[in-house]
Amino acid sequence: MADETFDVVAIGSGAGAAPLVHTLVNRGKHVLLLEKGPLLRTQGQDPSGLSDFKRDELFATGAAKIINVPNVANNGEPYYSSHVEPDLNDEPHVYKGEDGQDRATIEGYTAQLVGGGTQLYGGVSLRFTPDDLRLASFNAGRTDLLGDPNGDVLREARDWPISYNQLEPYYCTAERLVGINGTRGGQLKPASQDFYQPPLEPNAISGFAAAGMDALGMARYRTPLAVITRDHEPSGRTVPQDTDTIKTAFVNRYGDPLGLKSNTWVSLLWPIHNEPNFELRANCVVTHLTAQGATVNQVHYRDPMGNERTVTGRIIVVACSAIESVRLLKLSAAADPDFSRRIDANGLLGAYFLTHCFGGAQCQVPQRADKSKTLDSDWATDHCAHPDWIRSHGLWAGGAIYNNTSDGALPISLARTWAAMDMDNMWKGYLGDPSIVGNEFVSYLDANFGKRLSVAFMANQVPQRTNRIDLHPSVTDKWGRPVAYIEKTWHGHDRLLMETLAEQCHQILVHAGDTTDVSYGSVENSIVRIANHILGGTRFGSDPDDSVLDPNCRAWNFDNLYVTDGGFMPTSGGANPTLTIQANSFRVGDLLSARI
Amino acid sequence: MVAAQVVPRDAQYVLNMCTKYLARDNIDTRSNFGQYQPGDPRAAIAEAWRFPVIDSFWDGSPASSYPFDTVTFIWDGKRSPALSVDVTGTFTELYSPVPLTEVPYLGQPSGLWAVSVRVPKGQVHAYRYLVDGTARADPINPQMRELDNGEVWSRFFTSGCTIPLTLGYRERRVLDALVRHVLPFRIAENSRFVSDVYTKLDRAVRDAQFPLAYLMDEDVGATNYIDKLLARDEMHHAVDYHICLPMIDTLLRERLGGLDPLVGPVELWQDLYGELASNNVPGWDYNRYHDPSNFLALLRRHAITGAFVHPRRGGNSGAAGWEYLESRYVDNAGQTLFDWRRAIEAPLGHNTDYRG
Repeated sequence: MADETFDVVAIGSGAGAAPLVHTLVNRGKHVLLLEKGPLLRTQGQDPSGLSDFKRDELFATGAAKIINVPNVANNGEPYYSSHVEPDLNDEPHVYKGEDGQDRATIEGYTAQLVGGGTQLYGGVSLRFTPDDLRLASFNAGRTDLLGDPNGDVLREARDWPISYNQLEPYYCTAERLVGINGTRGGQLKPASQDFYQPPLEPNAISGFAAAGMDALGMARYRTPLAVITRDHEPSGRTVPQDTDTIKTAFVNRYGDPLGLKSNTWVSLLWPIHNEPNFELRANCVVTHLTAQGATVNQVHYRDPMGNERTVTGRIIVVACSAIESVRLLKLSAAADPDFSRRIDANGLLGAYFLTHCFGGAQCQVPQRADKSKTLDSDWATDHCAHPDWIRSHGLWAGGAIYNNTSDGALPISLARTWAAMDMDNMWKGYLGDPSIVGNEFVSYLDANFGKRLSVAFMANQVPQRTNRIDLHPSVTDKWGRPVAYIEKTWHGHDRLLMETLAEQCHQILVHAGDTTDVSYGSVENSIVRIANHILGGTRFGSDPDDSVLDPNCRAWNFDNLYVTDGGFMPTSGGANPTLTIQANSFRVGDLLSARI
Repeated sequence: MVAAQVVPRDAQYVLNMCTKYLARDNIDTRSNFGQYQPGDPRAAIAEAWRFPVIDSFWDGSPASSYPFDTVTFIWDGKRSPALSVDVTGTFTELYSPVPLTEVPYLGQPSGLWAVSVRVPKGQVHAYRYLVDGTARADPINPQMRELDNGEVWSRFFTSGCTIPLTLGYRERRVLDALVRHVLPFRIAENSRFVSDVYTKLDRAVRDAQFPLAYLMDEDVGATNYIDKLLARDEMHHAVDYHICLPMIDTLLRERLGGLDPLVGPVELWQDLYGELASNNVPGWDYNRYHDPSNFLALLRRHAITGAFVHPRRGGNSGAAGWEYLESRYVDNAGQTLFDWRRAIEAPLGHNTDYRG
């Protein structure tokens, strides 16, 4: 017998679980939420009047630590993580590199705290297009796809078991309850209702991106961002008197001490935190699940001191980010053959792991801007998500393009992300160029501080069965459990798609005015890159032989086990995934509240 | 010295600061990057340097809050069971013990003990726990010092501390010279700027904003930042500095025929910089430190961070690094293009919504 029983036990508190928890608690269900990380509060929430987040560049990327993981090729290298990312020596993700060697990586971790990745993300809250959810139908019968000699794309493209129209009301719910600013006109994503708050004035540097998009005839709109710009009634949050001060460079990779960034804690969980039928336990890591037949009947977790405890629920929701959810299910399966048979009957658990094809272009603009007055992005375009554009370029799917504004906005972040493509490479670009010193340091600042503009694309990645999450055969975490092992490559069509979209970003900057030093590219040469968009591995579908979850996100051979983080996605969509994960979680919340 | 002012912080706060680092089954020495002696149990704790927890202080007013930190002492009773725990040290009057209380979890004692006290910024203190009446150094915090009488005490320092903790006088002078060469502030116009930052302010403004700025120099506090970083967050890199700084001092002195390199020509340091970058330093003892370019990389990362970091970290003294950018980059109307003050807490910055 478990120590305690609830209607619903949810594991994780980010975009995948918080929306359904919000729904279920408001409908009177007795819900326990277990979160591995801490509960870091805003100034207004914490009785001390202080937040555990600071406007301090070293909170995003802190002191050097050394990778001390046996049997990985990058053992001994330094790494830099934020205060809410895991200690890599306690719990690394390990990936197999191009050279076949294993390496520990911070990539693929979102954030470990109440609110999950939504605490650190830039807040870009785009919807997917209707075609993103039906890429098998969209591509059926095509013979014009480039870079796909073996027909993999047509074979592996999948329609989602739900349509855009089915998801659409939940997009509206998410936009209303989360709290998002942006504009609707020019989007390729139909909306039945508009709950956007008005955006703030864009940063001056974004005018160049806008000019480039205009010159190319790309319809643009203000990037929807999960930051409130007006008092937000559903969550009870209020904004500062001078709303322009909402714009600070402490956005992407920073938590917000004022709670204006609409993470799931402030927007969805705080409004219900005092309800008697809701309990939130932070600093509690779930180690494994056990089942009796088709019913998961115990959730085993460690309390904040590391003591073993158990709890059960009529419904168990796993939403600890795709990689960690797959790992939790595989750890549970490893301990029980019957659990294994039920969760992985078709061998697809962990397979079809997805991230995004992404990349972009950057340049120097002639006029310096104060990039410290910014949110994460100002302008977006769906130009390259239009079906005609996709087909005319021989691609299977499209993507969104938007400009970044918070990148390199502060002096230390400018240096530590200089020519560093990912979080594993923090500082390497700057340190690799010893000429940046003295006079040259001044020249470097003159040329770049407040003058770097980047435009990024985010596009669908071809699903491949061999891209997968597994348990590592030898590396274990601080609880002695095998860590997640990531194997992935880019498909040839992915590379072609990334080149095509990077060129679009390039053209935007070429047409943006007197820009110089324009460069462009993608992650095609780096298989570790994940953008912290971790999707797939437990994909949903209508065919039990072809998916891990049913259309309601329930594991096919369990009665009460649901997975609602980005793992459910059979294709990764042509935009940042968080809003879609939230919308789907609201949808599952509706289904569950009818069920119990 | 006045009696310690205890600051209420709730159980959630203490648990938030502990679980990730302390709770574990595995006791491999995964967090030993060279900073621990063999057998030190801290090597199994992630980021043990975070203890005791140094955080901001808030009493409702920016002006009266800013000069203080909140220091939270934590005793892990699961590792070392106790019936009573007090903390005593130089931060409290006559070393009068301050009792820690048991932190509850789900209505039961969690095993953690904690107390938070208000301590002025810019200070260094020694402390010990009294565990069931017996004095003990903090078994988690790696900062320790042995007194003349042989007693081992633990140490902490608060934000903006400028008291040297890691590097000796000569090491700091050599580091100063290296850091100045890395940073942009030694150029004549910038050097003038740095001194202007401080002198242009009237005393009242200066005391309110920068009570902790001590030395306006071309290194804008980066050397002090490095000294503090090596004392705590990157203790494992202290050895790099202890080996390389005296070695550089010695080999430059030899090149000058015994003259003090600190008064040597600037070219001396420029040449050295190039040699470090190319890993080819005549006179370098490669057996003692095999990769001089690695030391240069360390120095450059630390120097730029120290120049532009939030001043609470001991660098960017008087926010001079930020002011440099603020004044250097302006639009045609004379408006700054790095308005850092609007986001940063008052009285350091102008923001009164954010409290630091």
